Parts: sequence; structure tokens; C-alpha cells
Amino acid sequence: MELNNSKIKIKAKNLNVFYGKKQALFNINLDINQKEVTALIGPSGCGKSTFIRCINRMNDVIDICKVEGSVEIDGAEINEKNVDVVTLREKVGMVFQKPNPFPKSIYDNIAYGPIIHGAAENKDQMDNIVETSLKKAALWDEVKDRLNEPGTSLSGGQQQRLCIARALSVNPEVILMDEPCSALDPIATAKIEELIDDLKKSYTIVIVTHSMAQAVRVSQKTGFFHLGKIIEVDSTEKIFKNPANKMTQDYITGRFG
Amino acid sequence: MSGTGHTVKSYEEEMQSLNDNLVMMGSLTESQMADAMAAVIKVDKDSVDKIVKNDGKINELRSVIDNQITTVLVKRAPMAVDLRITISTMKISHDLERIGDLAKSVAKKVKPLPVDLPDELIGSLRRLGDLVQKQLKDALDAYLNKSKDKAIEIWKKDEQVDDLTNLAMNEVATYLQKDKKNLEMATHLLFVTKNIERAGDHITNIAESLYYLIEGEYLEGARPKGKPIES
Repeated sequence: MELNNSKIKIKAKNLNVFYGKKQALFNINLDINQKEVTALIGPSGCGKSTFIRCINRMNDVIDICKVEGSVEIDGAEINEKNVDVVTLREKVGMVFQKPNPFPKSIYDNIAYGPIIHGAAENKDQMDNIVETSLKKAALWDEVKDRLNEPGTSLSGGQQQRLCIARALSVNPEVILMDEPCSALDPIATAKIEELIDDLKKSYTIVIVTHSMAQAVRVSQKTGFFHLGKIIEVDSTEKIFKNPANKMTQDYITGRFG
Repeated sequence: MSGTGHTVKSYEEEMQSLNDNLVMMGSLTESQMADAMAAVIKVDKDSVDKIVKNDGKINELRSVIDNQITTVLVKRAPMAVDLRITISTMKISHDLERIGDLAKSVAKKVKPLPVDLPDELIGSLRRLGDLVQKQLKDALDAYLNKSKDKAIEIWKKDEQVDDLTNLAMNEVATYLQKDKKNLEMATHLLFVTKNIERAGDHITNIAESLYYLIEGEYLEGARPKGKPIES
């Protein structure tokens, strides 16, 4: 666990988030290391999803949501008015709980982002992006002969890998995953976890999960959220073997509520 | 360890039962050690068969605990303090089972001993036996009270066990040198002494497991060692 040698990719400082009058996050300070997997755990409604949505400004789309404080990526503030959120979301991709492929072909699902961002000059380049992205998401071999079939024709696990491939197609640096395996069976889950292990060599990954076992398996660092506050952050090994905070211990050992 | 119980009651009951079985095993092992030592000191050959038979109960409990732990691991995937309790209980139960075996071995050596064991051979052996029994009792109390300080104290005290072992062995060796006819008795007593010393080592293991259970870290540094036997 060489936490101290890792470079900080994302830095949240004094982050407060409000939905109308209700405060969802309280003064969050959290460093996320580059090319590592950081897991966020905590009971439903604790603010972990709200937190990751601050990293690509997904909360901007909610009218009543107000974000105060700072989130820096590579030292640059992302909440500045002049930050282009489309570029930000290109850099910070997101994968959701339920696979949500576009109602388009497998090929077009991947090509959609690069088209918007003008990433390919011709068909060959686009073919290349589609193939590379699907290979990175460990899906290519399963779909290479059916690229024109609808994305929704794939199994749940394949659809989720398609969504990961879609996020990868625009060359992100950070991938946010909000309970990416909660709708998947154990085999599909294992494939995603294997993929996460592989992707962390090139990307910074933040994953929200309700599965303790998954947090232990995939992450190097874990943060425990409760009632909008971050209670404890440490190496995953420390959190699950010997957490410092009693609330963390009660949560991960099933002594809550 | 934690003030509040598990949300899932059956998990709480499983952990409680694991604890109860370990305590029971500890108590049986303590009696076996006491009975074995008394049998040696008094050269009470009649008690040997009972001690040998009773060892089976300790072995049975270890099997029960092993099964319970496998179940907890597969059913609950224990984390944090529960994980440490599960792992430490497994290790402690194995150490207790070995201490039980050693008590049995000590008792079995009583049968070939002469009934009139010379006093000069008993003194140090009795002190060694008393110390190891005290260590075992303290270790079991420390487990019940989850006392980190007591665990460290027991761990450090193994040095005294080693010193007394060396003393007892020296006394036997000296006695043997007086008359080579004493060879058979001396050999049995040396085994008895060594077995008690090894029980002491298992108690030190228990102290280490207990420390890990409480602190989530391993006791640092080399184990304290007694002075080597001088020839």
C-alpha cells in the first residue's frame, strides 16, 4: 500500500453540496490518487454518489443543487465558470448502476462520443477507436462479429462493459463508477472487477459500491461516508482489517442500525 | 470488542458460540495441564488414563470450532474486528489443542517413573509447572478481558519459562551424572520438562494472537529467550 508515494489526481477541499435547503455533503476533504482505485462505501443516502457526481459536475444538471468548495483535477479547479463541462466529462467518464446503452448499434454506442468530440477524421480512424475501446473493455472478442446489432441486445454484463467501452472511447483520465455491478450476476461482476484491475494501470478510478467484498477486492483506498460526512479514509487493507473509527467498524461489520 | 451487536442476530449468536466454545476449550486445557502436573509431582499413576481420555474432549472442541469458523467465513465474510476474532480464535484453538496434547504426553510419562521420585528433581519442575499453569490462566483471563497489557506481559514472561526449563534440565542432567542407572528416569523427566516448556511456547502464541485480535497489529520484535543451557 504505497499510498504516500502516489500522486494525487483529484483533490476535494471543503466541499459542501445542497439540494435546495437540504445539505447532502458536509465539508468533504478527500484526495484521490492517480491510477489507483478508490472505493467509496456507506449506507444509502450517505452522499457517496453525490460526491462522485461532483467530480464531473453531473450535479450541474439538477436545478436545486448547489455546490460549494473546491474540486481540483491535476491542480486545476473544475468548478470555475470558464471550465467547459463537455471537455470535463470527456476527461472524467462515468458508468452507472444500471447499464444504459444508447438505443443504437454496438458500434454507434462507442462512436457517439468520438463523433461529438471530433476525434476521428475518417471511417478507418473511427473503426480503430471502436475496436480499441471494446478491447480495453474486454468486450471485443464477444461482439466483433455483431457490431451492427443493437447495444441493448447484449447481456447485462456485456452492456455494462459496453458502457465502460463508451466511456473509454473519448480517452478519459478518470472513470467514475456508481455501483457498476449491482445489477450483474457473479460471473459478469467478476469480469468487471477483472477489467477494473486492468484499467487502473491507465486510469484513475473511483467506485461507489455497497459490496464490502468488492471494495476489498478492487480498491487500494477506501472512504467511508455517513450522513454526508466523510468518517474515515485510509488504505483499503487498513479499513477492512482494523479501521480507526468505531462507526466505520460498526458499518463494515454489520452492526449498524 | 464493539459495544453494539450485529444487526443480524444469528451472526451475533454464531460469534458468541465461537467465543463460548473457545472459553470452554481453554478451561478444559487448564484442568488437563493442572492434572498432568499433579500426576507428575505426586507420581500418581492412577490418574493418567483419565487425563489421556480427557484429551479427546479438547480435540473434539477444536473440530467444532474449526467447523464454526469455516461456516462464519463462508456465510459472513467477516470484516475488521470480526475477521480478527475469527482468525485469532482459529489460531488460539489450535494452540490450546497442542497444549492439551502436551499435557497428555506429560501424563503418559508418569507411568514409567519410580514412585519415590527424589525431591531434588521435583523442585524446579514444580516451579516450571506452576509458572506455565499461571501463564495459561493469565492468557485465558486476558482473552476474556481482551487485555492487551496482559497479553504483552505473558509474552515477555516466556523468558522465565525458558530459564526455569534450563534449570530443571540441568538438575536432571546432574542427577544422571551421579549414577548412570538413572538414565531411564532422567530421560522421561527431560521429556516432561521439554513438553512443559513447549506448552509455554504455545501460550506465547496465544498471547500474540490475542494482541492481534485487540490491536489489529502483530507484536513487534523477537520473542524474549531464556539463557541457553550451560554445560
